[in-house]
Amino acid sequence: MSARRIVPLALLVLALIYPVLTMESAVYQRMGALVLLAAIGASAWNIVGGYAGQVSVGHAVFFGIGAYSSVVAFVHLGLPPIAGAPLGMAISVGLAALIGVPTLRLSGHYFSMATIAVGELVRVLASTSDFLGGAQGLGGPPMPRTVLDLSFLSAMPYYYIFLVVLAGILGLTWWIERGRMGFYLRAIKDSERAARSLGVSAGRYKLYAYMLSGAFTSVAGSLYLCMFGFIDPESGFGILISVKMVVMAALGGAGQLFGPLVGALILVPLEELSNSYLGGQGAGITYVVYGAIIVIIARFLPSGLLSLFERKPVVAQPEAAKPANPASGHAD
Amino acid sequence: MSMTLVQVVIGGLLLGAVYALFSSGLTLIWGMMNVVNFAHGDFVMLGMYTAVVIWTSLGGGPWASVPAAAIVIATLGVISYFFLVRHIMKGPMLAQILGTFGLALFLRYGALWAFGANFKSLPDNLVGHSFVLGGIRFEGSRVLAAVVGLGVTFALHLILTRTQIGSRMLAVSENATAAQLMGIRPQRMQALAWAMAGAATGIAGALIALFLPISPTAGETLAIVAFVTVSLGGFGSVTGALVAGLLIGVVESLTAYLVGPIYKEVIVYTLFVLVLWFRPQGLMGKA
Amino acid sequence: MIKTTLLAGAALLALAGATPVLAQQVVKIGAVYPLSGNSASTGNYAKMAFEMGVDLINNGNADLAKVFPLAKGGGLPGLKGAKLQLVIADNQGTPQAGANQTLRLITEEKVAGLVCCYQSAITVTASAVAEKYGVPMINGESVAANLTERGFKWFFRTTPVAADFATAYLTFLKEQKAAGLKTDSIAIVHENTEYGNSVSSVIADAFAKGGLNVTMKIPYAANGPDVQPQVLQLKEKNPDVVIFISYTQDAILYAKTMKELNWKPPILIADDGGFNDPAFTKQMGPVTEGLISRSVFAQGKPGSVAAIMDEIYKKKTGGDGLDDVSARALQAFFVLADAINRAGSTEPAKVQAAIKATNIKAEECVAGYDGVKFDDKGQNTLASTLVTQLKNSNYVAVWPKSRATDPLVLPYKGW
Repeated sequence: MSARRIVPLALLVLALIYPVLTMESAVYQRMGALVLLAAIGASAWNIVGGYAGQVSVGHAVFFGIGAYSSVVAFVHLGLPPIAGAPLGMAISVGLAALIGVPTLRLSGHYFSMATIAVGELVRVLASTSDFLGGAQGLGGPPMPRTVLDLSFLSAMPYYYIFLVVLAGILGLTWWIERGRMGFYLRAIKDSERAARSLGVSAGRYKLYAYMLSGAFTSVAGSLYLCMFGFIDPESGFGILISVKMVVMAALGGAGQLFGPLVGALILVPLEELSNSYLGGQGAGITYVVYGAIIVIIARFLPSGLLSLFERKPVVAQPEAAKPANPASGHAD
Repeated sequence: MSMTLVQVVIGGLLLGAVYALFSSGLTLIWGMMNVVNFAHGDFVMLGMYTAVVIWTSLGGGPWASVPAAAIVIATLGVISYFFLVRHIMKGPMLAQILGTFGLALFLRYGALWAFGANFKSLPDNLVGHSFVLGGIRFEGSRVLAAVVGLGVTFALHLILTRTQIGSRMLAVSENATAAQLMGIRPQRMQALAWAMAGAATGIAGALIALFLPISPTAGETLAIVAFVTVSLGGFGSVTGALVAGLLIGVVESLTAYLVGPIYKEVIVYTLFVLVLWFRPQGLMGKA
Repeated sequence: MIKTTLLAGAALLALAGATPVLAQQVVKIGAVYPLSGNSASTGNYAKMAFEMGVDLINNGNADLAKVFPLAKGGGLPGLKGAKLQLVIADNQGTPQAGANQTLRLITEEKVAGLVCCYQSAITVTASAVAEKYGVPMINGESVAANLTERGFKWFFRTTPVAADFATAYLTFLKEQKAAGLKTDSIAIVHENTEYGNSVSSVIADAFAKGGLNVTMKIPYAANGPDVQPQVLQLKEKNPDVVIFISYTQDAILYAKTMKELNWKPPILIADDGGFNDPAFTKQMGPVTEGLISRSVFAQGKPGSVAAIMDEIYKKKTGGDGLDDVSARALQAFFVLADAINRAGSTEPAKVQAAIKATNIKAEECVAGYDGVKFDDKGQNTLASTLVTQLKNSNYVAVWPKSRATDPLVLPYKGW
């Protein structure tokens, strides 16, 4: 067996036994689960933001809908929170259509800015809704009633649940990537005009990707609620939630299957560890370090960490993404 | 129109001019090189702190603090350009969000580390020198910020449209390679754009500090307003940012007074999405 | 770039040195507070209060020891002089970080108990973690009513809740009404996050039941750049009483804009929050003379626990005295320290039992409570609040009469 096979296999085994390896440390075990949860959100974002190149900075809308659907299932219907997940997905698909139709026509940064505005709009509306608990937010079951409430002391069950969900999303993404839709999305990302001239219904496929992405982001929200048992407008719809999904995918490599996972593997431990060891000083050093590392990675690997492992040199960037030509590399 | 309503509209216009002021730097960069600076709000915040340091710690007073903030933030802009932006422009558009967001966190929490979390204010912002004109009350510091805001916007507009430097900068933004063939050095022009944007942003921060308390997170909310202002106006259009800023200011003020303050964001964001629906390039952007 | 590298290097050094060698006989108390994010200012004041508390117990203070037995120095007598160690973590203002850090303090740092978390939303998730692990947690600041309605066995709260504040305002205003002041129209102006929303709705309910007329409610989004429209609305309706529920930035803007527009109500109540921030009182004090607020902290008579601690705290912070939030946080910390001391052990069940048996008298409190005693749900039944008034940029207690240090002066003077 060549190294190209052994390494992925070893990584897979490591992923499967990670919670057992960290039995002794609840913190590290939990960190594993948090990495997977973040990777679920970022991988879902990747479908529309990475593959289709439509950089949404408002995906917290779907994350929040997932979390709120779950908590509403408990608070208003008395169901286990996870029962709200399908509802969240359905609402997200519908809302994605509603948001996507007007905003996906916008190009480049305009789309990003419009999604920010929609995200903020939803956050404000949620904080005025009594049904959603207003600004105070809503809590899940304080004490687990049955195992279906998915409220555990150990992070191990979360870890495996998240792992299965992530595997599902990555599997589906892989399938899309290799199929016709993946081909269309790449064409749209490279040049929407060229894709249209080839007869690809760009608007339709962008919308499909957006809806699919929204549905899976919503799952991340539902799972978040099960684990943390509480949601309020800021932790559901806050702009930081959206930005973190983008940053994770971009850091690992957007539009690549494992990019978001790699981003989460770097950023989540970085955030947790720096907060654990530096946060107590109370001077914000946590985020100074966190920000500096992101800057350094963006400076030296603008296409994400996975670009380190690409065998071919990076293909010239599509013109469409950058109407303004970047400065050429000539000495000035 | 009742006197109170006139007061509300004028308050909105003053606010809007300030929005335009702190958005002009963002729109310049956006238009010049299609880069959205997610750290823009934090540039404003650092402009505010520069004013505080110059004014209170070094005893400089207002006439020193505004130019000092312009110079400091312009320098910060040029440094950011050479060390970060120049490089991330080679990558995909996402790299901009990644890099400038990292920069935003670095600056925001660097400010927390350096200046502490407590609110700071400029010493005599209270004085404000408010005056009454035709039954309408004007708050001096806001009028000053608005007037300078209009001045800066106008100056930027003139530089871009009436000077040789301006046409060179525009040439670079249209086509860097072609501009280079014509003997223009793209990197120098882009660095200049960052310096100009930084200066405008620094001035904005120093003036806003006259009437807003200063904390490390002050840039967060301002950044979102700036994003909306700039995309509503049409990216790259300095006059567009002015029109959009004034529009948003008046709409916010009127909504807050007539409907209720919590609805002002709802109305502004809805209006924003609606405008983009009909004019995807913003109010004054090029199609 | 050089700066970046230096900082990263410094961070690595800090990581390497992060696990201190522990002396024997150390009792760890965990604290999960907002040291960054929007409430960082508050969190850092609380942090200084805890550090002072630890120092008082470990190293003592002769003056204080006369009225406060735990301040004799030499650690906790109940544990053979074990020293206290504070392990403080940053909740970053998010429920997620709050829960994660609580888990770390429990499992890695093995804290004997926790004080947590300031923001109600974060207290919800953090207390759920502590509950699952069976580690006692005392909350000193979160006022959301439902926190003690969840059937938790390891969660205790020392602070009064929103309803207590509402009752205090109601009784206070009714007394003013009886004394001949007009209270026919009342406006509530509140920010629209958890704090403002919950407190305003509780006040509105209490007033409706108590027969006071809330004629206007103006919710607004916090930290905006302009509050003129709200003040103009008030000016037009001209209510007799205005109640503000705001954070610091808005508090400063409201005070300033009211002066700019030259309007003031006869009674101006500012519910704690931003109006108690030292940044507010220092800067806006001169134009808000006579502002009514609430606080659990009043310096009280010279020689009292509160007065002595206030002096020590001022030395530590370089001038800022204890205020409502730092006093409440500190009180929660002392309740936990006292319970561990009485338990004579760091065993969770014993500490829990000791907390339940807590009976602290009013004169031993740093916060202005009638004492500390928990009910079955873990709520301090003796929690109470004072109504304070701003005089020469300092808050003094003016109500209830039994605890007042200064006479109440109405109507509101302003500037």
